Amino acid sequence: MSTGKLMLRGVADMRRFPLPQLCTLVTVCMVALLAGTGLLILHNVQQEVLRTQGQARFQIYWSASANMTDVETQWADLKHVPGVAEVSTFTPRAAMAELMRGLTASAPAAPAPGSENATSPGADDFAWLEGENPLPPTALVSFDIPPGEAPEPWMGRMYARLRGLSGVDKVTYNATQLSLATGWIALIQRAAWPALGFFALVVGLVVGNTLKLMMLARRDEVEILSLVGARPWFIRAPLFANGLVQGFVGGVLALFCLKFLQTWLRGMLDVPPLFLKVEFLPAWESFALVLATTSVAGLAAFIAARK
Amino acid sequence: MVHLDHVTCILGGAQALTDVSLHVERGEFVFLTGPSGAGKTTLLRVLYGDLRPKSGAAAVAGVDLMRLRASGLPALRRKVAVVFQDFKVLGERTVFENISIALEVRGVPAGSIDRRVRAVIRALDLEERSYSPCRELSGGEQQRVAIARSMVVNPELILADEPTGNLDADLSRHLIELFKQFNTYGTTIIMATHNRDVLSWAPEARQVHLVRGQMTLPTAEVLSGAECVANLLSKRGGA
Repeated sequence: MSTGKLMLRGVADMRRFPLPQLCTLVTVCMVALLAGTGLLILHNVQQEVLRTQGQARFQIYWSASANMTDVETQWADLKHVPGVAEVSTFTPRAAMAELMRGLTASAPAAPAPGSENATSPGADDFAWLEGENPLPPTALVSFDIPPGEAPEPWMGRMYARLRGLSGVDKVTYNATQLSLATGWIALIQRAAWPALGFFALVVGLVVGNTLKLMMLARRDEVEILSLVGARPWFIRAPLFANGLVQGFVGGVLALFCLKFLQTWLRGMLDVPPLFLKVEFLPAWESFALVLATTSVAGLAAFIAARK
Repeated sequence: MVHLDHVTCILGGAQALTDVSLHVERGEFVFLTGPSGAGKTTLLRVLYGDLRPKSGAAAVAGVDLMRLRASGLPALRRKVAVVFQDFKVLGERTVFENISIALEVRGVPAGSIDRRVRAVIRALDLEERSYSPCRELSGGEQQRVAIARSMVVNPELILADEPTGNLDADLSRHLIELFKQFNTYGTTIIMATHNRDVLSWAPEARQVHLVRGQMTLPTAEVLSGAECVANLLSKRGGA
């Protein structure tokens, strides 16, 4: 009998033991849900760090003598650079106004007339600079680092690109803040692997032991097959198929439960003052969860079927 | 077919078989007799590779049991069929499925399986129950299914462990007749029993007696029933 037929027989035989199958399925589903919840938390912490600290901001200074028509053309082009989240531009006049507004806001309150400081110059006394404005045209450009890109090399490339624009005198960026965010994300990712390994081990042990218990219900069959001269693969292939199906169905059910959990958490946390948007796992992580559960369950069944 | 020389076997820390020697030729019918706990089942377990002897030499159907590995077990079990007192049939599966499973594991084509299973079912008078789940069958019918499963593969040797233990006298006699019938076709049969009626239904069979794991007849050469009687008579005459 071919391996395919043996596997199909294993799937067909699942209906012979409905209660042990159901108990195993519930266990597989719950353990996969636990692992999925861990993934969901890690994913959302990572997203939150990226959202709050993960934007790359470049301040671009053109030389004071740069042609404003050229600069404005470059500003328009900047808005179409991939990953740009926001572009704020300042002409020398706008920069001066911004500076004056800032100084005014930070200056002490104007003294009352007649006081000894009444003749001191106010913040708006920069009017004498009109016509000899020393400030250059500038732009503050915020980027969302494309997914999958390592922040530092990406920022290096973007810095070189912006620095190479015609008339640009200087470019600065928020390297420290981004490094902090990158550090956080690296820490999360480093913590993720041991956590995922731990979950895989737990899934393997729990599913393996549960399948082993389920096989107690089939021990007569295994014994008889062995007595009539069945080779190990003839005995194990149907049980292996049984484990794979249990793992796959359990993994998919866990994803549905996880979606329900995520919807519930989102409704609960996306309110003032938290405004936490709990996102669902990306497609590849969902796929990986089902694949891992299926593989571990199949492997556990295979090992459990050994005498 | 079976060659055991000075076989000793340990089971659960205790010596279950001590210095057992047994030689059975192809086509023989042998009864293993003795009280409960004498070692009959242990001896049968050794013969179908479920227990490895601690010492001695043992070979069944050309397979050296002392060197038998797990990978070699299926090959032995394809030559040696086993029938148990508790039938060991799958209650959820039909009579046909229970019998055909022995052919499926050997990779016999589906058409041939169908033909051979139907023939055995007809021979054992189970036609009307072919597609009934075995849990719905009587004890006698279930035992016939177990015998059919062992017969359908045309084994070189059948080991039967108290196959009539759960059956009434009429059914028991019927089953012994079945075993005798297959024996006449050349199948070697070793049957464990402590039922004296069963022994009387097959007087031509050789009897091997076990007590506390030891054979009570000369170990090097187990005598046939007639030789045994002659031996005893000559001893009495000598005394």
